[in-house]
Amino acid sequence: MAFEALDPLLHSQLRLAVMSLLISVESADFVYIKEQTGATAGNLSVQIDKLSTAGYISVEKKFEGKKPKTTCKITSTGVDAFENYVKNIQQYLKP
Amino acid sequence: MEDKELSPQESLDLIQQMIGKARKRYTDNSFYFLLWGWITIVASLFHYITATYTSFEYPYAGWSLTIVGAILSMVKGNKDGRTAKVHNYTDKMYGWLWLSLGVAMFTIIFNGEFLNWNTVPFILLLAGVGTSVSGAMMNFPPLRIGAIVFWLLALAAFRVDPNQQMLLMAAGVAFGYLVPGYIMKSNAKKNGI
Repeated sequence: MAFEALDPLLHSQLRLAVMSLLISVESADFVYIKEQTGATAGNLSVQIDKLSTAGYISVEKKFEGKKPKTTCKITSTGVDAFENYVKNIQQYLKP
Repeated sequence: MEDKELSPQESLDLIQQMIGKARKRYTDNSFYFLLWGWITIVASLFHYITATYTSFEYPYAGWSLTIVGAILSMVKGNKDGRTAKVHNYTDKMYGWLWLSLGVAMFTIIFNGEFLNWNTVPFILLLAGVGTSVSGAMMNFPPLRIGAIVFWLLALAAFRVDPNQQMLLMAAGVAFGYLVPGYIMKSNAKKNGI
């Protein structure tokens, strides 16, 4: 049986970490994701943009007082992609 | 964390690690249990004492405190929701559970005359549902024990008059809300939440 190619968008450390966090919660703040992944703000911002452009997550930017607040949420496309990725990865791990 | 390529095993480990981080370990909802516990105790004892020992015409006046409780709960819930860095499904379900129970309880109380004011047994049953499900969601046994106390007192409340039911109500919230509430608060302090 031929192995399915892994989704290149998810097969990267930081993007996969972001998706794994978001799949377990309803929504999360940029600051929370940064704390949990230990990524730099710049790198995280780039990866979040990539996931958002692919339609895997939705990003809402608003102001709370004078502070900007970015909230990320996984979309149904993102959930499907994540499930597919996990399914495919299991093929590689089968003895 | 860098943006490096992963082996399949590393991917699975990372997924597991991040899901573990997102799982909420402990929630401090003691504010609501203590607020509603004290409001109910004050209102029910005031009701019992004034109805039994005085000729005061409005023994139920103390229940107007529940309006203050509802406003304080809404303000706190709203503030916490806005400032939270992460929104969990558990918190959402928890909020909806108590909001739904609150609507049911207020409906019973406002239509009390149709039940000849025998409202307490129903309130105790609903409070037991709330504490039991909350206890299961938070994996917090004191709330589940509180639920059993609520249900046992509800059985007794069906058998006494509305005035005596007020004493069972006070006992119910003391064991079902206040004891778990204070344990929750002290645990939260110990865990630095």
